[in-house]
Amino acid sequence: MATEVKLPRLGQGMESGTIVRWLKTEGEAVAKGEPLFELDTDKVTQEVEADSAGTLLKIVVSDGEVDVGTTVGIIGSEGEDVSALLADAQSGNGDVPAATAETTAATPEPASATEAAAPRQAEPQPPPPPQADSSAQGEAVAAQPAPPARAESERVKASPLARRIARERGVDLAGIGGTGPEGRVIAEDVERAASAPAPAAAPAPLQDVEVVELTSTRKTIARRLTEAWSAPVFQLTVTADATELVATRERMVELMREGYTKPTVSDVLTRLVAAALVRHRPVNANFVDGKLHRFAAANVGLAVAAPAGLVVPVIRNADGKSVQQIAADRADIVSRARDGKLQLADLEGGTFTISNLGMYGIEEFVAVLNPPQVAILAVGSIEDRPTAIDGVVEIVPTMTMTLTCDHRAIDGSEGAEFLRDVKAFVESPALAL
Amino acid sequence: MPELTYREAVRDALGKALREDDSVFIMGEDIAEMGGSMAVTQGLLEEFGPGRVRNTPISEMAIVGSGIGAAIQGMRPIVEIMYEDFLTISMEQLVNQAAKHRTMSGGQVKVPLTIRTQGGAGWSPGAQHAQQLEAWFVHVPGLKVIFASTPEDVRGLLWSAIYDDNPVVFFEHRTLYPIKGEVPDELEPIPLGKARIHREGSDVTVVATGRLVHESLQAAEEAEKDGISVEVVDPRTLLPLDEEAIVGSVRKTTRCVTAHEAVTRGGFGAELAAVIQHGAFDWLDAPIERVGAAFAPLAFAPGMEQWAVPHADDVLAAIRRTVARS
Repeated sequence: MATEVKLPRLGQGMESGTIVRWLKTEGEAVAKGEPLFELDTDKVTQEVEADSAGTLLKIVVSDGEVDVGTTVGIIGSEGEDVSALLADAQSGNGDVPAATAETTAATPEPASATEAAAPRQAEPQPPPPPQADSSAQGEAVAAQPAPPARAESERVKASPLARRIARERGVDLAGIGGTGPEGRVIAEDVERAASAPAPAAAPAPLQDVEVVELTSTRKTIARRLTEAWSAPVFQLTVTADATELVATRERMVELMREGYTKPTVSDVLTRLVAAALVRHRPVNANFVDGKLHRFAAANVGLAVAAPAGLVVPVIRNADGKSVQQIAADRADIVSRARDGKLQLADLEGGTFTISNLGMYGIEEFVAVLNPPQVAILAVGSIEDRPTAIDGVVEIVPTMTMTLTCDHRAIDGSEGAEFLRDVKAFVESPALAL
Repeated sequence: MPELTYREAVRDALGKALREDDSVFIMGEDIAEMGGSMAVTQGLLEEFGPGRVRNTPISEMAIVGSGIGAAIQGMRPIVEIMYEDFLTISMEQLVNQAAKHRTMSGGQVKVPLTIRTQGGAGWSPGAQHAQQLEAWFVHVPGLKVIFASTPEDVRGLLWSAIYDDNPVVFFEHRTLYPIKGEVPDELEPIPLGKARIHREGSDVTVVATGRLVHESLQAAEEAEKDGISVEVVDPRTLLPLDEEAIVGSVRKTTRCVTAHEAVTRGGFGAELAAVIQHGAFDWLDAPIERVGAAFAPLAFAPGMEQWAVPHADDVLAAIRRTVARS
């Protein structure tokens, strides 16, 4: 009995995903639990495993973005007739964007360039005919031959008015999603696009320009940080004497048993911040639908530069972990982040974020909020600076930290109290016990 | 301002012309003692006598032909064709004679003839007594074509038709005769070739004629409840056409519906759509929608008849299509 492979929902709020590539080819045997294909969601790229064993009889969607629940493949016994299942799947996949649906007609083996370019005989979903003019009721309407779907998808449908406005304002119609009937771009769409800040200010195209398509991670970053920008935020900055922090970390490395991950200053800082967070729940919170969710445990997100863009994997219960354990967790998620192997679960549930650019020599900076979290700590480099101590100027290693707070959730005094504790813990790590 | 029915407004213009101008006379089937099949000419025989209010034989060819002869001889005849369906029988006189003489004579001959007629569905007259054939005459150079929709317009336009030096085919609508409307105290001629904006709007222009002007105004009221602002324009004169007003309105609203009771195919709406797409191409944000009757001989059965001809809800549906989103 053949079963359909449907695009799984890997996390809350996931509506669609992009199939990057299949790890099995049609006709190949598949064991249950074996990786089937790579799926790029707006957060991570993840391997999706087979739910059932058998032969991969058909790859319905070979790549591209599809909605959750869409049939992307069929697993069954070798030689089994799956045409009925396939027909169901394709009619059920009616919403699949044309570019993706087209691949459903692909031949089992990767199509050669000429095959791929040839117009498909059977498009799965020919566009609906133009809406019948009800005023012509009863008239014999001559059947209009449907234009080839491919040509349909290449030509941008736009009203003459939309075209004129686009021409006048130098807006490219191709980039505009039409909201008119059958996706036609209408005047309103062009005006919206023309008034969007970035493209409108675009300078004349340069000769030497690299145009980069946004990955889904990058799109998510763009969307979420733009969202974050609408929150009323304020920043608080402290500079802490990092002598003890550095010394503590050095003692830990000295005492570390072989085979364990060497803790970094950041790992120690993660532990100290976690200790401060559980003492200041207003800061250890999410702002969701106009309500504050304050957490007992500190799940600390670490901003990590991955090849596809910024990701923020989470170290869970960091307040209850040893620095050694935090170091091990951090090493794991950072390496998986860099390899693009993070799971959605690695990214969910953060209650606070630390962004550390100290390793780049950045002395201090302001981080953008990571919603729904209500605060984020930007950590600069440890620098030797002249510092007044008991009336005498001494050169001591110092570290500047800037806390960005969502003022809807946190008042200045709450943020200040938290940051005062962070500073105290950095200067005397034992206080975090 | 006095209030007149559409029927009284026509009669008022006829009476005034007969009263003030000896060159005017009226002629048609049963228009004298009977007062016309639609009672438009009631009382005129009594006031003006049988010499100027003349019954004719049942021959539309003869009615129009003799009207042309009288017009060429310097009269301003107003002839009535009882149903516009029977303009068919006068086509030779209208199309080959009335429309051509002025040009073919090098301007030596004028034909100041007014051909009044009426038509329209809504009272089960069947397929041969309810057609809307105005579009045929818009295709003939040398004619002028008027289709008035209100008492004020029908009076002022009929006056201008009588005093135009060219043959004018003047359409009235059967179901509009009883409607009432205010008219100026004194008859004010309405120039030919001037459209009337009945209602201003910003989202969609409905260009409607005859009965559909009223249906479109009703549809506009409904659309307004959905936040769609509809402008309703009545060209009133189909030939010559006030292209400036119509194109100007569509350039403002960016969407257009044409509406008439005549069948959609080859109807006046097609001409309007062509004029509009040319004049307002770069202003159109949606395809022009046409509203008209089903392409079928009109049924006698009232239910069928009502189904076949357009009403306010058909106009409203077309308005909605022009502002639709995917």
